[in-house]
Amino acid sequence: MKDMHIIDLVDSKKHTRLSDSERSTISSHIERCVDCRKAYEAANIAAALLEEHASRIVEPSPFFQTRVLSGLREQQSVNSWGFGRLWRAAGPLASSMVATVIALVVLTFAVPDNPTVDSYSLSAYSAEEVILDQDAAMDFPASDGQVLTTLYDDELETTR
Amino acid sequence: MSDLELVRLAREGDESAFAEIMRRYSPRVFRFAGRYFRQRSQIEDAAQEVFLKAFTQLSSFKGSGSLEGWLTRITANTCLNLLRSSKRRLELTAADLNQEDSEWIADKVANVSNERHKAREQSLIAADLAGRVLETLSPDDQLVLTLIDGDEASVREVAEITGWSESKVKVQAFRARRRMRQAIEKLLGSKKEGQLALEGAVKR
Repeated sequence: MKDMHIIDLVDSKKHTRLSDSERSTISSHIERCVDCRKAYEAANIAAALLEEHASRIVEPSPFFQTRVLSGLREQQSVNSWGFGRLWRAAGPLASSMVATVIALVVLTFAVPDNPTVDSYSLSAYSAEEVILDQDAAMDFPASDGQVLTTLYDDELETTR
Repeated sequence: MSDLELVRLAREGDESAFAEIMRRYSPRVFRFAGRYFRQRSQIEDAAQEVFLKAFTQLSSFKGSGSLEGWLTRITANTCLNLLRSSKRRLELTAADLNQEDSEWIADKVANVSNERHKAREQSLIAADLAGRVLETLSPDDQLVLTLIDGDEASVREVAEITGWSESKVKVQAFRARRRMRQAIEKLLGSKKEGQLALEGAVKR
């Protein structure tokens, strides 16, 4: 019968870190359980492979530093070249935008303001004046005859 | 000159200071990257990327931890990203093994004395085979297994390097160990099947 606890124990830690009691539990179990024996064998191989893998030493090549430093210079030159290219491409647009902003600033602050309400008040009638004028007009009301003469003077002339 | 002083000079654009940092820590970066890539060119590419990143991120190194730890974190992230972007081998079968691999496994299964495995050639065979088995696992599994079961790093150290919680490291290690064990079991199973088929063909 497959005892899942043994497999869990096998997978729980590296086999070299198993305690003596854990080892004896595993040993006695794998004698009668084929599945667990296979699992334990595979776990042993995995541990041995990882140990060998960890002992592998890869030294940097003698040219590694030179390679990285030239990579750094290349990266820096690409960055600066990239900015230059961007400026060349977008330069005219950026310049025209700056010129527009300057023109707007000049127009806003340097050119005299548009006539204000006060200046209008110098040339236009105030509400009060209009009312007074109306009163003045009412002092000398035109008769119906004067109005008709003014409007239809020409017609009256021809009928005569 | 201290690491902090070198970092300060390198930040100001002193190339020789950065070269000194590389001289001090490139063996460590190579050893780390060597766990994840089998080909030397891949290891060199990864190490180069690590140092290029380190140079551009020097301003983020505040000196609260060690420069070695900071570089190790960059190396771990770089290797993980490179592994994630590379194509993963689906599984390793007996057909992928050469005669030397098969012999190494057979000796290991038969519990042949370790003396034989001490031989340099045997170690290289095992290391290469380990690399191929690891390639069938996910990048996270590879990272945690090589650090904990390979380099004997503690759970806490792995958590610091990866930025994972300690409980995540423990769970990841358990699952990774299980997946590696299952990959080898499968490999052994397919090897036995192959042998049986070969013996059957010979008998006929």
